[in-house]
Amino acid sequence: MKATVVDGLEIGTNLPPLTVRFTRERLARYAGASTDFNPIHYSEYFATQAGLPGVIAHGMLTMGAALRVVTNWVGDPGRVTSYSARFTRPVVVPDDAVGIEVEFSGSVFAIEGSLVTVSIEAISQGQKVLGAARAEVDLGVRVPHRDHEV
Amino acid sequence: MAITEAHAGRRYSLGDPYHVSAAKIAEFATALGDDNPRYRGESPVAPPTFAAVISAQAWNQMFADPELELSLERIVHGDQRFTFFRPLRAGDALIATATIDRVRIRAGSELISATVEIAGRDAEPICTAQATFYHAREAAA
Repeated sequence: MKATVVDGLEIGTNLPPLTVRFTRERLARYAGASTDFNPIHYSEYFATQAGLPGVIAHGMLTMGAALRVVTNWVGDPGRVTSYSARFTRPVVVPDDAVGIEVEFSGSVFAIEGSLVTVSIEAISQGQKVLGAARAEVDLGVRVPHRDHEV
Repeated sequence: MAITEAHAGRRYSLGDPYHVSAAKIAEFATALGDDNPRYRGESPVAPPTFAAVISAQAWNQMFADPELELSLERIVHGDQRFTFFRPLRAGDALIATATIDRVRIRAGSELISATVEIAGRDAEPICTAQATFYHAREAAA
């Protein structure tokens, strides 16, 4: 555990943000790595047949990239005890060299003993693409913070 | 016949365990653009959302169940929750069992809630993955 993680931690503490660029290359890579070969993630034809505006990123790619805000901060990904999110808006990835950026940020939502819950935001083109994204980490040591002090 | 509320309770499981390798963990971390050193080297842990890869072993069986008449390209992931009892690691041999918890029929679509239990050797509970999928019944005009 990095000592800096626990020091001065309060509800509302912001974690270092992260911007990730989603391109068609990233979608192809994620499809192969995850074995999710749903064609809405690589074929304009199937995406529009499904009523989508275009090829969209895997929800789990967005969710997985978002969790980096927490695992970068805590260092050891094995400390994550729960993680949940809703896929509120598809991330449409254009077929070009630029792709689309997704900005991830996180802040401490709750502290209970050694358990810290982080609320994560994922924004693309000014719109939230994940809803109610929360990750809980067990820091292994009780987190002293103002709410518990007399 | 297509999927109905009566399919709640139906279970899917692969007979053979999924063997987690260091190479697959590194490949998955690279796909996320994640250079965390804990995902590399001799005995890595997996990124927490790697649990979706294991879950997919069971989800894909459900999606391919001929009785449900689902089309993969008309399925969209609605929400996802993971509860971890311990991290997934290289060397794990995992069994994923999916259970359909609930089916809700909407105009033109079905909402399918399913829970995957990921277990290790001797049925050690490792992760519970709950998901909702939207299935559009007909291709868009």
